[in-house]
Amino acid sequence: MLSQIIYALPFLAEGFAVTLWVSLLVVVLSLIAGVLMGVGLVYGPAPLRWAVRIFSDTIRGIPILVLIFFVYYGLPAVGLHLESFWAAVLALTLFKTAQVVEYLRGAVGSIPKGQSEAAMAIGLTFRQRLAYVIFPQAFRRFLPPWINGVTDAVKGSALVSLLGITDLMQAINQVIGRTYEAMPLYILGALVYFAVNYALSLASRRLERRFSFIRE
Amino acid sequence: MSNASHQNPALLDVTEVSKAFGSVEVLRSVSLQVTRGEVVTVIGPSGSGKTTLLRCVNFLESYDSGSIRIDGKEVGYRETGTRQRRSERDLAAMRAETGMVFQSFNLFPHLTAAGNIMLGLRKVRGKSNAEARTIAEHWLGRVGLAHKADSLPAELSGGQQQRVGIARAVAMEPKILLLDEITSALDPELVGEVLEVVRSLAEDGMTMLMVTHEMAFARDASSRIVFMADGGVSAVGPPAEILAAGFDNERLRSFLARFRASHF
Repeated sequence: MLSQIIYALPFLAEGFAVTLWVSLLVVVLSLIAGVLMGVGLVYGPAPLRWAVRIFSDTIRGIPILVLIFFVYYGLPAVGLHLESFWAAVLALTLFKTAQVVEYLRGAVGSIPKGQSEAAMAIGLTFRQRLAYVIFPQAFRRFLPPWINGVTDAVKGSALVSLLGITDLMQAINQVIGRTYEAMPLYILGALVYFAVNYALSLASRRLERRFSFIRE
Repeated sequence: MSNASHQNPALLDVTEVSKAFGSVEVLRSVSLQVTRGEVVTVIGPSGSGKTTLLRCVNFLESYDSGSIRIDGKEVGYRETGTRQRRSERDLAAMRAETGMVFQSFNLFPHLTAAGNIMLGLRKVRGKSNAEARTIAEHWLGRVGLAHKADSLPAELSGGQQQRVGIARAVAMEPKILLLDEITSALDPELVGEVLEVVRSLAEDGMTMLMVTHEMAFARDASSRIVFMADGGVSAVGPPAEILAAGFDNERLRSFLARFRASHF
């Protein structure tokens, strides 16, 4: 039994690499898109605010599984054919982006209005105000829910296996298909996911402490 | 005097400025001139538009009509006939010419006292880190806080924070300094140290427009006092005249009477 699992380890490692790659893509792309859209939601003109609001509410109201199937099976109907890998990444990114938008709105909204005004009064432009005054203060509020969201992204990446992508989850299922050793393999999988997420939350706690000098 | 002000046109020229929040008129055709080196104090009951007027001068608030000029240049709108808001970059550049000190200090909590002062010097004035630091230390010395340069705002008392707030504003060498009830959030025993700094800036010839409830200070430090009521300028004059018991303005007399009753 053990020898069969050891024999399968390189294959599982490949799956794990896919899991990490999907997670990384989703986290980075959703961070960029979510922060941009979040800034639009907080500071943008009314039409932009509405657009972001509708996007965020809609996406967050749809189960992630439906979103994945919609992107992969639904979008070809309107001429957009994506490989399963990129369809999965797009669906997960859309989902995560909507969450990042809300984290950003909450974090930026918690900064008193006087901070923006003081920054305006010394002549900082909008971008400078965000870069030097608002974001450094909002960062501490943004970090805990965002890291939480990153761990969700790692766990949620297991859903890509449903489109036949050989990530860690899919690799485990395939090895089980050959060996019929479900229990040890699922435990192994759970441990790997746990290890990644535990490391992330430790890093998060570290970072939070580093920024704790900023007043509540 | 009137002759002198002809040769030296107003540094700040507010002409018939009106502003409404929805159906509430907060400013009704306000006109006001401040010449270089003058200290003008705005007093009046709450809701009279004092703070809104101040905030219009550096365009933290927009105004619906009229014009506000600093050194001849229109503050918030382009001078093209059509009333068009200035670009973000233009507005920022205009605001850098007016310093503002806030009632609630509004120091940047993630930056040290020196860091608060250096931010504008570096990012707006383009000074090097070392130059900005030197200027910051100079102004911290002026407000008696040379030893607090590396303290965070949370480590300072209210009076100290407000003195850093003043240093942050004047370090930018603004043409005019706007002071918005800067002692209202302070414990009474801390008011004196802040007013002392303002007094010394006035002696140096800094042009100031301030809103305050410190009548004794207004009397001593101002060249002129503006009394606002219901969004309009109700009376203007030298302190001795405006604060005299017999001044011929019913609203001003009742404001001062109520004010004295609540403060003595």
